[in-house]
Amino acid sequence: MDLFFQFLSNTGYFLADYRHLIMLVVGCTFVYLAIAKEYEPLLLLPIGFGVIVGNVPFFKGFGLGIYEPNSVLHYLYFGVTTGLYPSIVFLGLGAMTDFSSLLVRPKLMLLGAAAQMGIYFTLLSALALGFMPKEAGSIAIIGGADGPTSIFLTAKLAPHLIGPVAIAAYSYMALIPIIQPPIMRLLTTKEERCIKMPDVERTVSRRELLLFPIIGVILCCFLAPASIPLLGPFFFGNLMKVSGVVDRLAKTAASSIIDTATIFLGFTVGASTQGDVFLTPKSVGIFFLGAIAFSIATASGVLFAKLMNLVMKNKINPLLGAAGVSAVPGSAREVHLVGQKEDPSNYLLMHAMACNSSGVIGSAICAGILWSFMV
Amino acid sequence: MYGIEAINAHNGWAMAITGAIIVMIGLTALSTIISQLHRLIDLLDKRKDRNAEAQEEQKPPPALKTQKTSSPLSDLSRATENFRALTQEIGETFDLASLYQLFSQHDDPHPHLTIRSLREQGYLISAGQGLFSWHHPTNENKV
Repeated sequence: MDLFFQFLSNTGYFLADYRHLIMLVVGCTFVYLAIAKEYEPLLLLPIGFGVIVGNVPFFKGFGLGIYEPNSVLHYLYFGVTTGLYPSIVFLGLGAMTDFSSLLVRPKLMLLGAAAQMGIYFTLLSALALGFMPKEAGSIAIIGGADGPTSIFLTAKLAPHLIGPVAIAAYSYMALIPIIQPPIMRLLTTKEERCIKMPDVERTVSRRELLLFPIIGVILCCFLAPASIPLLGPFFFGNLMKVSGVVDRLAKTAASSIIDTATIFLGFTVGASTQGDVFLTPKSVGIFFLGAIAFSIATASGVLFAKLMNLVMKNKINPLLGAAGVSAVPGSAREVHLVGQKEDPSNYLLMHAMACNSSGVIGSAICAGILWSFMV
Repeated sequence: MYGIEAINAHNGWAMAITGAIIVMIGLTALSTIISQLHRLIDLLDKRKDRNAEAQEEQKPPPALKTQKTSSPLSDLSRATENFRALTQEIGETFDLASLYQLFSQHDDPHPHLTIRSLREQGYLISAGQGLFSWHHPTNENKV
């Protein structure tokens, strides 16, 4: 009988407290959103299930938890804490990205830069709320709306915040359809939303596509060398894709490699949100600041597009500014949908993709800049 | 420490402004370069074409040499042997449309001109009812 009671005292049912239960509800909500609503299922499903697994209460000291050395989850989490998974994800992302739309509309790249202003505004806000500079930098990068970049920078600056920062970043990316449209509508008039972007007749040559990743990596990494772990694999993946001589490698990078990294990244980040570590006032602050960062990033992109219209002869649709955040392709899709709601004959998707891909580059540069400031 | 005091203490303003300027400059530079990239490539291509043209002009025209050594008539006579072999599949007599089609299929750049030359030089003779045949030297002997 003693053995039975001893066993019972070691079960999850006995060890569970309210924090585990809250996180289990959060995990189930993520899984529900991924399956039923199809909100970013590639991210929310592994994260959601990881949250459930990470919040099963266990007897400490068995080498089971993600924070316990020698546990399987701890080894898998190594890829997060070292910044390995984000680099691999960027390799695959590069191999999937088509820069043609950006190459024919280079001025839209400025919107990708403008949308990064949310990062710096949030840096100031986080400092003002009492976060230490390294923590503030990790929180600020949520404004880039790029999960792997947020995880990478947080792993380097404030590893103890990886869980909340990653969950906040991915949650807001999944909530793009809810967060971005009201801001876009608030900051633009109906006439502005109806502006049609002219089609570009020029076709992009193979040599342009080949030169872009080489010029990009040299220019960006010389400017912010700390962004090499992200932009190096990113442009390399893209060069493999456009070169056409290593199709097998490019396809593997764009499928098996990125998928494997995404599975382990999502699952371990989810599992790192153990209730006792995750549910702290700091996490609440991070979620609050993350929402501000994301909203300001959207708003600054839209406002910068309006500013550009003041000096440009050919007006651009200011909605495109919202796609300057690097949530690919979610924000581009949302910009397109908002534009189509006003005028069904207005096709903004390709233009928005140009802003989106420049947003990826912009947020990686910002991560490099913040990292170099804090070291 | 909170508020403006915390921002000042951690050099927040400088970090935010410098960071924003750096990312803006970086992407503006990249955007400027890629906006001129296709022009640069076009320019290099044009220069390459011009060099190639100049080299072509410097070469002695090979066509003149062959014109001096062989007459067009003797070329046509030699080519006719090939044409005869080609037309075996359409029979002894044939209409000009089939011949035209046959020459086109065998990459003759000017089938119409070739047929006209063959007729004018007497290699192709009328066989009546819109059909033609090759002029055989043996036929001439018989006549």
